[in-house]
Amino acid sequence: MRWLSRIYRVLLYTYPREFRLEYGGEMERLFRDRCGDVARANDPLKTIHFVLQSATDWITTSVRERAAVVSIARKAAPRGFVSEWAVTILMYLFATTTLVQAYVIPTGSMEGTIRVGDHMLVDRTAYAKPGALGRYVMPYRDVKRGDIVAFLYPEDTRQTFVKRVIGLPGDRIRMVDKQVIRNGRALVEPYTQHVDPSIDRYRDDFPVSPEVFTTRRGQDMFEHHVANDEVTVPPDTLFVLGDNRDNSADSRYWGFVPREYVVGKPLIVYWSYDAPTADLTEWHVAHVVDVMEHFFTKTRWERMFLVPRSKEAQ
Amino acid sequence: MYMPKSPTPTIQDLLPLTAPVFHILLALADEERHGYGIMQDVAWQTNDKLQLGPGTLYGCLKRMLAAGLVEESDERPDPAIDDERRRYYRMTALGRRVARAEAERLAGAVTAARSRKLFAGGKA
Repeated sequence: MRWLSRIYRVLLYTYPREFRLEYGGEMERLFRDRCGDVARANDPLKTIHFVLQSATDWITTSVRERAAVVSIARKAAPRGFVSEWAVTILMYLFATTTLVQAYVIPTGSMEGTIRVGDHMLVDRTAYAKPGALGRYVMPYRDVKRGDIVAFLYPEDTRQTFVKRVIGLPGDRIRMVDKQVIRNGRALVEPYTQHVDPSIDRYRDDFPVSPEVFTTRRGQDMFEHHVANDEVTVPPDTLFVLGDNRDNSADSRYWGFVPREYVVGKPLIVYWSYDAPTADLTEWHVAHVVDVMEHFFTKTRWERMFLVPRSKEAQ
Repeated sequence: MYMPKSPTPTIQDLLPLTAPVFHILLALADEERHGYGIMQDVAWQTNDKLQLGPGTLYGCLKRMLAAGLVEESDERPDPAIDDERRRYYRMTALGRRVARAEAERLAGAVTAARSRKLFAGGKA
């Protein structure tokens, strides 16, 4: 629930300055106490209710408090209106575009952990490079091994991928018979899923046979970052793999993810719908009809509000 | 809640109270409470039907302070277990009179509802 408090602290900036200075601290404390209550109750329905209630409370009261300031300011200086509201409007835009982003999982490369058709919210603040201002507002943390991250696909930045971080800069990675070995130690990865019992030399004994169709970035990886049958992750990049290890196009095929391509951290599955990949990437009439007809039967209710866990492999 | 234009509002000027304001006054009737305490008590009074969010609670308190219905308390009722920085609120004498007037107003409304056979329970 910590991310909720973090978001709430930023949302407090939509309230007028005087009100925020006077009551912001108390409001944040109250919100945190409520988060604690809800977390202890451990009831998904109560959590949803709480989130919706908090959103309503925020929108109505921030507008009300702004309006109160504006009605006073108007009498003194009628032109204060635009400047008073500009901050609020900017904050609403900021909240919806910068803090979280809705995202649907189109492929099965993380199957086992995240499924095709999961609609997720991505926390865009989690791994953001701390700017001069942001550092004081939000506690950023760096990407860790085992984190699930959303990032722009380096070969085509119009696409967003979700995969698990296996290697940080400086890590040496290799695979032997599907087993990942990092810095000489075999990882225990309970989250992975193997669907193909046969051994594919390229895929499962990476990086010993670089003969197949790698991309330009993949080739660059093989030419410059492989030594002693190991890949060494260069500075400011990540090595990522899908949890559905036998059926995942990941760093083995297209190289490293530049650190600045990381978008954020998948937060919560808000809707999971059983549909083919093509329908999820591009909405068309047949899909809309399908959703309307089968909303209740094809929605995977058990996945609702699921939080994908980052796991440090041992 | 009506926001008074004159510096010395009469009790009738402040009626009717909104539900959050009335329940906050009820929460403060017996003891001083901090924000979270008020929120919990209001939830208890209303069988969890009214959950005050932070914005609603502190927006109301701001207006109630301005109208003189509540005041901030200087003492900490239990400094040993309570966070030093939490603010406690208590009801003023005016707040008590306003709450009583609102309760009478509501009682009158309930009596009227009963006479029209809209409501049967809770006979006083």
